[in-house]
Amino acid sequence: MIPHAPILAILIPLFAAFLMPVVGIFARWKGLKRAREWFAIAAVLVEFAIVVSMLPAVWGGQVLVYQLGGWQPPWGINLAIDGLNLLVALIVAGIGTLVMIYSFVYMERDTGLDQYYTLFLLILAGMMGVALTGDIFNLYVFFEIMCISSYALVAFRRNWQSIEASIKYMIVSSLGTSFILLGVALLYGLAGSLNIADLAQKLGPVASSAVIVPLALFVTGFGIKIAMVPLHMWLPDAYQAAPSAVAALFSGATATVGIYAMMRVVYTLFGALAIGIMFATLGLVTMVLGAFMALVQRDLKRLLAYSCISQIGYILLGIGLGTTLGIQGGLFHLFNNAIYKTMLFMIVGAIIYRVGTSNMDELGGLWKNMPVTGTLFVVGALAISGVPPFNGFASKWTIYVAGIEAGQPVFTIIALITSALTLAYFLKALNSIFLGQRPAHLKDVKETPRSMLLPIILLAVLCVVFGVLPQLGIDLVRPAQEALMNSSGYISAVLGGA
Amino acid sequence: MAGMTVIVRTIARLLFPFTFLFGAYIVLHGHLTPGGGFPGGVIIAASVVMLILAYGIEQAQKRVGFLHAEILESVGGMAIVVLGLFGLLLGISFLQNVFPLGELGQLFSAGNLPLLYLGVGVKVAAGILLIFYALLYTFRGDEE
Amino acid sequence: MCEIHRGVKLDFIYIIAMMLVALGLYCLLLKRNLIKMVIGLAVLTDGIHLFLISLGYRAGGVAAIVSGDWFSDLPGFAARAVDPVPQALVLTSIVINICILALALSLAIYAYRHYGTLDPSKIRRLKE
Repeated sequence: MIPHAPILAILIPLFAAFLMPVVGIFARWKGLKRAREWFAIAAVLVEFAIVVSMLPAVWGGQVLVYQLGGWQPPWGINLAIDGLNLLVALIVAGIGTLVMIYSFVYMERDTGLDQYYTLFLLILAGMMGVALTGDIFNLYVFFEIMCISSYALVAFRRNWQSIEASIKYMIVSSLGTSFILLGVALLYGLAGSLNIADLAQKLGPVASSAVIVPLALFVTGFGIKIAMVPLHMWLPDAYQAAPSAVAALFSGATATVGIYAMMRVVYTLFGALAIGIMFATLGLVTMVLGAFMALVQRDLKRLLAYSCISQIGYILLGIGLGTTLGIQGGLFHLFNNAIYKTMLFMIVGAIIYRVGTSNMDELGGLWKNMPVTGTLFVVGALAISGVPPFNGFASKWTIYVAGIEAGQPVFTIIALITSALTLAYFLKALNSIFLGQRPAHLKDVKETPRSMLLPIILLAVLCVVFGVLPQLGIDLVRPAQEALMNSSGYISAVLGGA
Repeated sequence: MAGMTVIVRTIARLLFPFTFLFGAYIVLHGHLTPGGGFPGGVIIAASVVMLILAYGIEQAQKRVGFLHAEILESVGGMAIVVLGLFGLLLGISFLQNVFPLGELGQLFSAGNLPLLYLGVGVKVAAGILLIFYALLYTFRGDEE
Repeated sequence: MCEIHRGVKLDFIYIIAMMLVALGLYCLLLKRNLIKMVIGLAVLTDGIHLFLISLGYRAGGVAAIVSGDWFSDLPGFAARAVDPVPQALVLTSIVINICILALALSLAIYAYRHYGTLDPSKIRRLKE
């Protein structure tokens, strides 16, 4: 492991974000055309290498604890990395790298790219901060960094859709983060500490009537971020109005981080495994609502956004079931969702880049022009619907079996029906875009540029690999699942030794 | 954006050094008195904004333009990270104190705290100034 | 060091802080003007900050600044000073809120330019 890897994983994107305006000014002064894009790509590649270097130590069972400033917890802020943190950090770093490579070409027609790359690196730093920290107020601060950068990224193109979507998103999400701050304040008043492990220990003997209010505030605040029903209203507009590279990043990485924060606070800090049944029920409602709304959409990005909501429902169902198999299925689905959702948004971005619209009524017959993109869309559609040789099937099967095992066969039946609905609307989308009659003005549409195709192909390969070898996926998430169910190991590692 | 009357301009010009000094005082004494980087930076930015309001935006652009504020902000941010990295390279962890601690209550004491506050003060001042410029450009309609 | 507070102290300041939160929430949810909604958000967060600072109060305490004759009696100072941690938390949170307010206000300016109105119920063209 690279020494000081935990803090470097947060510092590298932060430092690169601070440096980016200077690099942009320098590049314009000297006339170097793509200096800032290469600088950004170098930063995220170094970041990914640092995160991967932490894998052997944490998967060996060790919890990495890094004290900032040398201060002992609970008086100092510390970063604590167990299996769950590392899974989320890996997803964030990987998706961030791939989307950055994708935006090299995709964003080249926009102006104000200095600010785009600065915001991208800032949101990456915020996500890594949330994923790696062990202090609840530090989690709030990095969460706010992530949220504010995302408001600005949604409004990036400054046309009327982006402004309207960003205003709605901002009002709802600011309310959510204020609730989180109130929850942190109440926890500080109850226990006098801000360290997650220390709070978990101190909140043990406190009466449950006192912790209900902070718990409710946290669940509401994080629930707004992950678009759990009934707090999901901002998501379709925000994902539709944001540039597709940004939407890909949100659906892959930001949703993952939100779910991680929810799990860390509810399961480790409060130790409230009993409210899993609420997550499972809300997850079921989210899943069904997302699928039904996606069936009637005419715009491809909005359809994908509702499909996002639906997949988050699956993850909540798996995690809410609370059994070993359930949590394994939920976390595996989290991983898979990041892979195929990012891939699908990138494909939509490629279509918009070449054609100029994502309205399915105006598209058609693009298979002849973009065969590779079409094939990749088929791979993504089959993966997300849970068809056998792809990764979606492996994680959904685990969730189905977990549902039956936990004594709730109704959940499994509803999940199966929703999978069928998912397949239905994706086949409809496939038909509208790639098959059928091609309108005359789309005759000369070219294939997607190669550097945009590269990340998509990589993600498709991952879809196939994890579908054919599901055991690989389960092994990947087993450290995370064990870390989630065994919070005493986390507490003793943070407070006891290091 | 035009300036204001002669009275406002004179008073602003007279008050600017004192306000700026007050902000700098709060930043530098962050480890001894309440305040520190954030409020001090806001006061420094407010003193510059007072001058901009009195004299008009065109005059201010010649002295502290958008470009200067951007570079200052990046420098402030990088200074904080570099100071933390000192701890990383020479000691055990990030932001570890490697500067002499001095006596309790003296100005040059408390390790890397006043230096960090200096970085924060510069960044916040430049940042608030940048926000002001950005809002002004948005309002006037030029796409920056 | 803080100990776990038993029960709920019905100090007046907590009620005022929660009233500020309720007022901010009312403005944020029910006013028909974007600028008023932003002001509501600011009042809401100010109420939370007031709540957080007053959590650190210690009856008969002194301000958490070492000065004058406290230099020689540091353990006594630590036993009588109010808690400085919530003050640091609130300082950070105020700065975060400056950024949110700046972003919200610039979005309001753009919305006025695109739609000609600041009424959020009229900014609804994205409905499907």
